Amino acid sequence: MPELGPVTCAGCGLLCDDVTVETANDGVRLWPECPRGARWFSERMRRRDEAAATIDDEPADVESALARATELLRGARRPLVHGFEGATVEDARAAVALADRLGALVSTGSLAGAWPGAPAVPLRGASTATLGEIRDRSRLVVIWREDPETTHPRLLERLGFGGEPSERTLFVVDDRDTATARRADVRLTWPPERDLQALTSLHVLQRGLPVADLTAELSGLVERMRQAPHAAFVYGPGLTDGAGGQRRALALHELVRALCHERHVVTLDLPRAPGTRSADDVLAWQSGYAGAVDFASGHPELFTAIQPFDDADVTVAVESGPGGCEVAGGGVEVSIRTAAPGVEASGTVHRLDGVPLALQAPQPEDAPTAAALLARLLAEIEP
Amino acid sequence: MTEIRISGGAVHDPANDVDGEVRDVCLKDGKVVEDVDPGARRIDARGMVVMAGGVDIHAHIAGPKVNAARKLSPEDRRDDPIERTGVLRSGSGGLVPSTFATGYRYSLLGYTTVVEAAAPPLAARHVLSELRDTPMIDKAFLILMGNNQVLFELIRESGGAVSAQLRDAVAWWLEATGAYGVKLVNPGGVELWKRDNGNVHSLDDEVAGLGVTPRQVLSAIGGAVDELGLPHPVHVHANNLGVPGNADTTLDTMRTLAGRRAHLAHLQFHCYGGKPDGLPRSRAPELIEYLSGHPELTADVGQVMFGPAVTMTADASVSAVLRDLDGGKWINHDTEVETGCGIVPYRYRASNYVHALQWGIGLELFLLGRDPWQVMLSTDHPNGGSFLSYPKLIRLLMDRAFREDQMGRANQRAIRRTALLDGLDREYTLNEIAIITRAGPARRLGLRDKGHLGIGADADVTIYHDRADREEMFATPRYVIKGGEVAVEEGDLRRSDDGVLYSSRAAFDPEVGGVLEPLFGERYTVVFEHYPVRDPALREPARIVEAAAR
Repeated sequence: MPELGPVTCAGCGLLCDDVTVETANDGVRLWPECPRGARWFSERMRRRDEAAATIDDEPADVESALARATELLRGARRPLVHGFEGATVEDARAAVALADRLGALVSTGSLAGAWPGAPAVPLRGASTATLGEIRDRSRLVVIWREDPETTHPRLLERLGFGGEPSERTLFVVDDRDTATARRADVRLTWPPERDLQALTSLHVLQRGLPVADLTAELSGLVERMRQAPHAAFVYGPGLTDGAGGQRRALALHELVRALCHERHVVTLDLPRAPGTRSADDVLAWQSGYAGAVDFASGHPELFTAIQPFDDADVTVAVESGPGGCEVAGGGVEVSIRTAAPGVEASGTVHRLDGVPLALQAPQPEDAPTAAALLARLLAEIEP
Repeated sequence: MTEIRISGGAVHDPANDVDGEVRDVCLKDGKVVEDVDPGARRIDARGMVVMAGGVDIHAHIAGPKVNAARKLSPEDRRDDPIERTGVLRSGSGGLVPSTFATGYRYSLLGYTTVVEAAAPPLAARHVLSELRDTPMIDKAFLILMGNNQVLFELIRESGGAVSAQLRDAVAWWLEATGAYGVKLVNPGGVELWKRDNGNVHSLDDEVAGLGVTPRQVLSAIGGAVDELGLPHPVHVHANNLGVPGNADTTLDTMRTLAGRRAHLAHLQFHCYGGKPDGLPRSRAPELIEYLSGHPELTADVGQVMFGPAVTMTADASVSAVLRDLDGGKWINHDTEVETGCGIVPYRYRASNYVHALQWGIGLELFLLGRDPWQVMLSTDHPNGGSFLSYPKLIRLLMDRAFREDQMGRANQRAIRRTALLDGLDREYTLNEIAIITRAGPARRLGLRDKGHLGIGADADVTIYHDRADREEMFATPRYVIKGGEVAVEEGDLRRSDDGVLYSSRAAFDPEVGGVLEPLFGERYTVVFEHYPVRDPALREPARIVEAAAR
């Protein structure tokens, strides 16, 4: 049973870099244990029989696939570059360079649920921290409508809730019976439609003002916050997705900002995919804007329309599977296998708290990285 | 490579005692040379001023805090787009430009080398990635060490003295990150801010629970950097930035560092008299007098320019104060073990007493300083204003009538509390401008091939029309030559160039890894062996400047 490690696992945005991978006939095991991470490594370690490229699902050689992809992109009227679920910083740098040349729209989110909207942070800002700060200083951690035990299985451990008795308190706001909720010291179970009201009420309460219909749950949380010199809120799509998401996120950051006058309070955002933070950071430094950026006019413009990207005629999906890029349009779909970052190729990734880490390549592969592939496409397209 | 003869310009090269002498400058293979072939490209510089490329010793251009500022203020760049061309990438400008725009605009301004002055070591990969996307300029970055819990442990063990272990640890960190130098920001204070919004207020306040004081941090790390012989001395953002009365702390800081080489960052923000809860007044004359008597110390000014700015600092408690002043946008970010970060968009108003006083104090430092080699030009970009305001600042220094006009537009109560109305009629010469914008910073950074035009220097040259309007002159160089190739001509970028990363290196005992690893394990959420940046794509190419141990 060969052991590899310690290596960085990019199975979720936590990017745990203390992982030992054990491979055996019956699968992949990870230490420390993590079912999501094991699944992630397993998917990427068993890909050697996959075709190097396909055109409309038929196996093709890489050069033919590249030629077809180039043809599609040259003819594109409204190209869209998206995906990035498993992208490295290097992949994203190459993807944004390609988008700049194409005059494409870039979205660091996936097409599924592609409603970029407007993020809350540019409106007021945020107070944030790396994992170690929360682990070592926050006496109170509130997880707001997220289930990291499923989506980020080692989050609680890495925030210092490892099972030993502690004076720290874990609050979970969720009306679902999730694995995370079952680990809470205190559960708050109002439904999602009451989140905005709850956040606003907390804001009012912490200022010492009266709130109508005050619930025992809210007053208990405020009391705990008043007693904690340092606290953290963990949130993500559970709070911000759907209608009114921006307002709810804004309410959370306003609450934290108000709390910060008397104590140190931070937030931690759980992104949808492990590559999202890296792609967002690259897009911000290369264009000046994060999230979704339109290069169609010859320069970057922040794309904030609340609408799906349904006018795109050619799409480039960057590392949205276990290692591959797809160019699709006009009824043609070109897929080129790439070396999976973190297993077959090394690279740089940004953890969900912004800490940049190296991905190793415990099982190196000759396939190109997405960065190399996108750079090649750019070179082919350049006049 | 291109060979170039710059012919007939008035050369201002103070590092080589050349003050406006009309002479040719020859460039070949990226260096200044004695002569070039007769067929070399000839640039007719008659009636023009020739200087080495500008060197910015203190700016914030790359890394997580800069990128957070970009995300925070998209509206700042919306009306300042940069179009892609066949040669250039697109981008956006504003106070915190995108990376490509940053490189292009520094180049258009005649600057060829820029130092990112405050990077969390833990974020080195991010900083390096951004710098690789910042073209046209050579660059380096300083790592934040003034609130590092691991180093605090070593300082506590040594009783505040410089120890071999501490020297080795500092050298290890430089090697691990690819950094060029060491920055201390509000030593000890940021740690307390992250704990419970606390701070230190004097150099002898104990950083509770960690057994060190700011004075010990300054002495021990400043001493370690000095003894290692790093090319750039310790770069210090002193305690109590912005607090009325902080001049006492600054003087105490300088006395603590005196006798060893040190650089004081954005001194303007540290020159205030008065009481902490009251209005500040200027104590710049006193501080600049002390500095002038200690040639081992240098400073950049951190001039405030009226208009918009973005404050961004590892001294996050300052940001919380600014947040409460206008209730606007605010970012706080705490980085485990090492540092903090605060960002607040801001505006300096001529009519505002405090802002006008800050503006006046900056000018006092420039005009009262006896030795321009000690006082360097900066706006602490973008904290005091954008680097794009450097030409206006140069005009303020060179043109007394313009300065007096501007003084007349500022809050008079504030101006009266400075020395600016005391017959301070100094006007900087072109050679003095060359000192504070290139020769001085390059020398202080230990970049021997930068900031001058002697034989063997890097062929980074800026050629200006000699205009009476010094702001216009320095805003629009006629030519900028980077690495021996013409990068800018008549205000247009003609080519793209990756620029070079500078790192420094000092020898250390590798056994220090055995000391650091358990201290890392207790504190960081990153495995020790994964902390150092090893990826060649991030580390190379780089020019390594070796330390000269003392």
